Amino acid sequence: MPILEIKHLEKSFGDHQVLKDISFDVSKGDVTCIIGSSGSGKSTLLRCINFLEEPTSGTILYHGKNAATEWKKTEYNSKVGMVFQSFNLFGNMTALQNCVVGQQKVLSRNKADAEKQALRFLEKVGMAEYRNARPAQLSGGQKQRVAIARALCMDPEILLFDEPTSALDPEMVGEVLNVMKDLAAAGMTMLIVTHEMSFARDVASRILFMDGGVIVEDESPAVLFTAPKQPRTQEFLRRVLERQL
Amino acid sequence: MNLPSTFFEWVGFLLDKYGALFLRGTGITMLVALSGTVIGFLIGLLVAIVRTIPLPHGHWARRLPLRAVHFLLNVYVEVFRGTPMIVQSMVIYYGAMQIGIRMPVLLAAILIVSINTGAYMAEIIRGGIISVDKGQKEAAVAIGMTHWQSMVNVVLPQAVRNIMPSIGNEFVVNIKDSSVLNVISVGELFFMSKSAAGTYMRYFEVFFITACIYLVLTFTVTRILRLLEKKMDGKANYTIYGSQSDSKSSIRVNEEEEEE
Repeated sequence: MPILEIKHLEKSFGDHQVLKDISFDVSKGDVTCIIGSSGSGKSTLLRCINFLEEPTSGTILYHGKNAATEWKKTEYNSKVGMVFQSFNLFGNMTALQNCVVGQQKVLSRNKADAEKQALRFLEKVGMAEYRNARPAQLSGGQKQRVAIARALCMDPEILLFDEPTSALDPEMVGEVLNVMKDLAAAGMTMLIVTHEMSFARDVASRILFMDGGVIVEDESPAVLFTAPKQPRTQEFLRRVLERQL
Repeated sequence: MNLPSTFFEWVGFLLDKYGALFLRGTGITMLVALSGTVIGFLIGLLVAIVRTIPLPHGHWARRLPLRAVHFLLNVYVEVFRGTPMIVQSMVIYYGAMQIGIRMPVLLAAILIVSINTGAYMAEIIRGGIISVDKGQKEAAVAIGMTHWQSMVNVVLPQAVRNIMPSIGNEFVVNIKDSSVLNVISVGELFFMSKSAAGTYMRYFEVFFITACIYLVLTFTVTRILRLLEKKMDGKANYTIYGSQSDSKSSIRVNEEEEEE
């Protein structure tokens, strides 16, 4: 059974419909990459999944139960982690405190356990040495790795990544992608909005191509990158791959 | 009786004679200004937290209670920002008397300054909240925090840091404007000065002294608040633990040194 089921999700901002009848499932261990041009609704889709945006209609089932009504919002949010394009680390806290605060306040863990868990994941993303640094003292890539550790500390079942490398200098993109590759290899269920085509091709178990608020194509990377069926996908890939490779 | 003849002789004479009075007035002024600013700050925090609760989605009836609370808070802010404190003190003090509550004047003074400051603080803190990047609030909600938790742990500490200069302003304004409370006979510095001046009719000398005291108070307060701001900014340096070759080593990074 899939852990996350999106059914007929729609989202409008005023008259402008951003998402139209989106349906797909996520199963345990899936690494799903969502690609598409800017304004195609990728980020909005991710933000609807953890209710940073309220969907206009449609349902989201988490373990078969309606995420909006049958789950407690805070519990659902702690299970579905999110990594943002702009990192969004808490500016008033050190790297360690960033990873500890959610565990203490949301999961009611004691300080010692929370710090142990935080150090374990900071270690995993290679940031344990910087545990006492504040966000303003870190580079973009370092901030994003701390943000990933912060999300992992909550023991999420699914991680959502909203263009995690788009705000980074080119030489820092690699360090963040490597962390994400390790997570994928360790079996983490991930839903990733990205413009990194080679990453998507190498890591994803499945690619969703979005355009104009709909999922145009839903395929394995092997098929989508070599033999896309839809003309819109072909057009998009031709433009993007020309530039990236 | 030999009265002084020059300005400075008068100042010395008055200080000698009414020193205790000035001191008492200064004490009351500081007590009213400090407690008024602190309580006003707490009122402002509460108002700002409530005013930033996102409206629930769905049927309009679910939004009604919060809308009503927001409306009342807006009325509070508008009324107390829109009328002079000197008038508020008359209305509150004599209004309470009318309905049979005879407040001690000092209590009335603190109450009035607190409520008045609260209305300004609510707006200042709202500005502080807006100044904190809203992505951090989203990140807090995304790891499962409630509105209250994300405000208390993430947004407000940074908002308060950002508005420290404005809070300092309010404190200084309160030190000075508590003087209007003399209309309800609060024994603060201005009130005490007036009684000291009356006996010998030396208004200029007395209020020269009074002005100096106010200036010393406000200057000291602004310096102390500056130090507090520095402290809130946290350490400029941090320690890097371990290294590739030696996991026990540590390096201290000092930002200030780098910048200089």
